[in-house]
Amino acid sequence: MPKLLMFHGRECPHCRAMMPLVDRLEKETGSSIERHEVWHDEKNADLMRSYRPILTPQCGGQLRVPTFLNTETNDAVCGEMPYEKLKEWATK
Amino acid sequence: MKKFWRCFVCNDIHYGFKPPELCPTCKVKNAYVEISAKEAKMIACAAAEGDFTKEDFRRAIEKFTAANPFKVNPDRDRTDILLEGIFSNEASHDLKYCPCRLMSKDWEEDLKIVCPCNFLIHETYQGRDKGECWCGLFIKR
Ligand code: SF4
Repeated sequence: MPKLLMFHGRECPHCRAMMPLVDRLEKETGSSIERHEVWHDEKNADLMRSYRPILTPQCGGQLRVPTFLNTETNDAVCGEMPYEKLKEWATK
Repeated sequence: MKKFWRCFVCNDIHYGFKPPELCPTCKVKNAYVEISAKEAKMIACAAAEGDFTKEDFRRAIEKFTAANPFKVNPDRDRTDILLEGIFSNEASHDLKYCPCRLMSKDWEEDLKIVCPCNFLIHETYQGRDKGECWCGLFIKR
């Protein structure tokens, strides 16, 4: 079973905007997305940094939030996006 | 490597590869001498008074944008959240790191995410009519 991760920051407006879409996605598809806040939790920050080689080429060369990662396919999308794009990432 | 320089007339401190030819404060030419990081820290910190609050920072970035083709986002709710994150990151990690990215723990890389960062190169800014920095703290005029 692939793991779907979301890395977000408490004071990141894009992350806040994505939260309701993540809730909706979980409800509609029955999938679950593990949320990791990275600026107030060093363990979560280290987890995100451990994926740096996978994430940065897909996210403008940096560790950005929000970032969504499928740990099986290593497919990552980042930033604020429409629901359809998020769903496409989650169901691919 | 960048070094520290001190104006021998007015004690302005400069950090860079080369000293300024003309001191921007006292206008004396060829006035800069190389100094150690310790001396630079002493002089700069001794001159620092009080806290630099969120409102000080807001004023600073408004002044910084005044003559630029971008401005501080007028959406106060958004900028309040961002400033809270920037200051919270400074409290826990010493610099005003971007709330919408994460430190990599690679010093040179992390200097690129100190606010304000060089957002002119962000794909959310470049080539867009309504361009903004990655977080939306700064927007095109
Ligand atoms: S993206 Fe915007 S808020 Fe983030 S560091 Fe750059 S200028 Fe500051």
